[in-house]
Amino acid sequence: MAERATETEFTLDTAAELAAAEEPAAIRGRSPWYLAWRRLRRNYVAFFFLALFILVVVACLLAPVYAKHVAHTGPNTNHVLENVEVNGKETPVLSPGGYIDPHTGKLCPTSESGCKLVASIPIGPTWFSGGGKFVLGADQNGRDVAVRLLYGGRTSLFVGIVSSLICVFFAVILALVAAYYGGWSDFVITRFFDLFYAFPVILLGIALGSALAINGFHHFGLNIQSGSIWIPTLVISYVLIPYIGRPLRGQVLSLREKEFIEASIAQGASPFRVMFVELLPNIASSILVFFTLIIANNIILEAALSFLGAGVQPPTASWGTQIADGQELIVTRPWLSLAPGLAIVITVLSLNIFGDGLRDALDPRAKVKVEH
Amino acid sequence: MNRRNRWKWLLTAASFSVGVALIAAACGGGGGNKSTTTSGSTSTSSSAAGKSFAVFRIATDTGTDYLDPGLSYTVEGWGVMWNVYLPLLGYKHVNGPDGATIVPYLAESLPTVSSDGKAYTLTLRKGVKYSDGTPVKASDFKATIERDYKVDSPGVGFFGNIVGAAQYGKTKTGSISGITTNDSTGVITIKLSEPQGDFMNILATEFAAPVPASTPAKDQSTTPAPSTGPYMIQSYTPNKQIVEVRNPNFDASLYGGNVPVGNPDKVVWDVIGDDNVALQRVISGQDDWLGYHPIPPDRLSSVQQKYPDQLKLFTPANTYYFFMNTRVAPFNNLKVRQAVNYAIDREALVRVYGGLAQPTEQVLPPTYPQYKKIDPYPYNLAKAKQLIAQAGVKGMPVTVWNHDRGLDPRATAYLTDVLNSIGLKATQKIVNAAVYWTTVGNQATKAQIGFADWFQDYPHPLDWFDVLLNGERITQTHNNNYANFDDASVNSQIDALKKEPVLDNKANARWASVDKEVMAQAPWAPFLNRQFTDFFYSTVDLSCYENHVLYEFDYSTICMK
Repeated sequence: MAERATETEFTLDTAAELAAAEEPAAIRGRSPWYLAWRRLRRNYVAFFFLALFILVVVACLLAPVYAKHVAHTGPNTNHVLENVEVNGKETPVLSPGGYIDPHTGKLCPTSESGCKLVASIPIGPTWFSGGGKFVLGADQNGRDVAVRLLYGGRTSLFVGIVSSLICVFFAVILALVAAYYGGWSDFVITRFFDLFYAFPVILLGIALGSALAINGFHHFGLNIQSGSIWIPTLVISYVLIPYIGRPLRGQVLSLREKEFIEASIAQGASPFRVMFVELLPNIASSILVFFTLIIANNIILEAALSFLGAGVQPPTASWGTQIADGQELIVTRPWLSLAPGLAIVITVLSLNIFGDGLRDALDPRAKVKVEH
Repeated sequence: MNRRNRWKWLLTAASFSVGVALIAAACGGGGGNKSTTTSGSTSTSSSAAGKSFAVFRIATDTGTDYLDPGLSYTVEGWGVMWNVYLPLLGYKHVNGPDGATIVPYLAESLPTVSSDGKAYTLTLRKGVKYSDGTPVKASDFKATIERDYKVDSPGVGFFGNIVGAAQYGKTKTGSISGITTNDSTGVITIKLSEPQGDFMNILATEFAAPVPASTPAKDQSTTPAPSTGPYMIQSYTPNKQIVEVRNPNFDASLYGGNVPVGNPDKVVWDVIGDDNVALQRVISGQDDWLGYHPIPPDRLSSVQQKYPDQLKLFTPANTYYFFMNTRVAPFNNLKVRQAVNYAIDREALVRVYGGLAQPTEQVLPPTYPQYKKIDPYPYNLAKAKQLIAQAGVKGMPVTVWNHDRGLDPRATAYLTDVLNSIGLKATQKIVNAAVYWTTVGNQATKAQIGFADWFQDYPHPLDWFDVLLNGERITQTHNNNYANFDDASVNSQIDALKKEPVLDNKANARWASVDKEVMAQAPWAPFLNRQFTDFFYSTVDLSCYENHVLYEFDYSTICMK
């Protein structure tokens, strides 16, 4: 709805001003983006979760600061035989294993004389009672879980965001080309989409991730070594292209028949101009929502692939590899898996809720969602 | 022998529900159908103190590669088959070092060896039959070795010293001239190109266990060849279940006590991918033995506390080590190799492996009579840094190789950190376990440094030094000498000791000397000998428990309370 731009102060001694004040108020146009912003800013839940996501990002970006000034260790530094002072008591980062005398805590030469067979277990969360060290405990290599959690977040967020950017970029190009040109272009591109739809995303991701993990990728001018973070990034972006490209193609097909496109073509606009100046802005809101939602999706996919050994390669920390590292100690040291699991939940939930809010704001009637 | 396969990721794909599953399993424990029932004991084995099992169930891991004696090369595969396919010679079914003693199985007696050590003569026992009732013939042995070549068995390298075997391996036509057999007398004569001190051990491998000459030259895992041992494989569904039943044509009295009759009537191996699930199955009685699965570290303490009498710790002959490729910089420099050895804190690696291990700084495991403890590289980080500086390789990039299964990636995570701390620039390269050994065993890979382990094929020092460290056996592909260690003095000592027919005190001392000499050159950084656990359901009578030096737990002798 239009509203008055300014309130005019009424003074009787200024005829010109009086006349001006009596003129009908100017109606200012409101762009769809402005309207969307107005709708979005009333959605406090979406804003809360956006703030939460930003908090996660900032925390992860500050990982080196935390590692250096609080935990005093790096993400891959092993502290296997070290002790840490917790509440004034020296505690081993990894307890000794084997036959242990339950009274002295020392190793026994044999299984006899009441000694108990125990495994080495890493220290649990110190919750800042260890001077900032091992706040969330240590893993089986004596590495600080909290430090790895923050560094792992950088990895997971990098993979999630960059793979989403790449995925959306190619999906948009393919959707525009397929829908605009139609015919053989459309046939080939949609069959490509169908082909990928035929495989479950996780299985395709495992297959590609495992294959590339051995020798890396050395084609088309790209030279990516095995173990590089770019491998899971590209694999994830690649396998999800159809899931963005196909719905976008549908939208472009619909827009393609609109009068403004016909007018543009009639005026001699080039295909490039029609696609990127006329069509693209009209699907921008959908792209933005897809992008937000698919980041969350890709973070989960990265975690799943890394858990299964087909994603981020050790010793690089990622939330998925951390969950995998912790699974053998799920009973006695649940925080090894719970901490990265919670980080994933918070990040994904915040992105999804914010993405939903964004979708509602941009087009309340839209039914944009990522499914696979 | 191939390394233990403990990969389980496929079955743990539902990663995020592991905790829930564990809790659910723990809450629901105890409800399993007990598979063991008492039956009239038919056992005549030495350890038949308790009752025999009608069905002995095993929760095994996914490591069984084949159930074809010509193809299997894993601890799990051999663990199933050593009571199924009997070689001419075998090992005593006893606990402890005495289990390394070779005794005649299908042969009447130990072989007669010619004075030059190049000819072995054996005679087949009379009356021995396969499980399908057909008699075992001397010519089956020859056909079995030839079949090994035809199926590209991983064991053919063991037979390369037989006259004509190498040529047969190339053409796979004709026959191996060095093996002659006489079916009417049962006499088998094997001629060797060179004397070979471990040849009786090689005859005791599963690769040399006779199968009928008519057995097709292709994998027979799911259509098992007729057996000669106390059991036969009734069915095998890969990655699911193996069922063994008694061999109706097995007569234990023929073997003079060398082969047990077998206590369980039936043995069922349930393939379970997840350690926790497998453990829970044994606790609840669905299975009787936790086969090859380690007890998850955080459950070991509670298992020990609740079931102290059902848990056994054992140390099979194994050595875990980091190889350093002596042909590739910076490890072509002795100082760098020594620096790595000094920089590794073995006690730390023991803890990284959960504490169930003993630190080591040498090739041979402590279970060997030839083992003489040495301590050439006590932990000394300062000295390691000094050696790196002296070698002038500070900042040099190094790739640390490993596979992705079990606890082993932890070892290279530790090593990478250590290498970085002494001034190298190390990164890890983790490769799928299915291709890891062929990758690092290929000269084209030029793997600089990486993880390796070795579990003995047979209890003889040659299985360590000749297979893993003899420079004359370096190959372009499928190379077991990952360090490409080629020292003339060590090679000549191995070659000389290879001809020794008997491992007496003098020979043992010479092997100990080779161990020391190898470590002076530091092609490896050995770090531990792992220990493992056997865990049983409460009805299993562990007074019958036997753990063999090579095949580990002997299911044929186990009995019920």
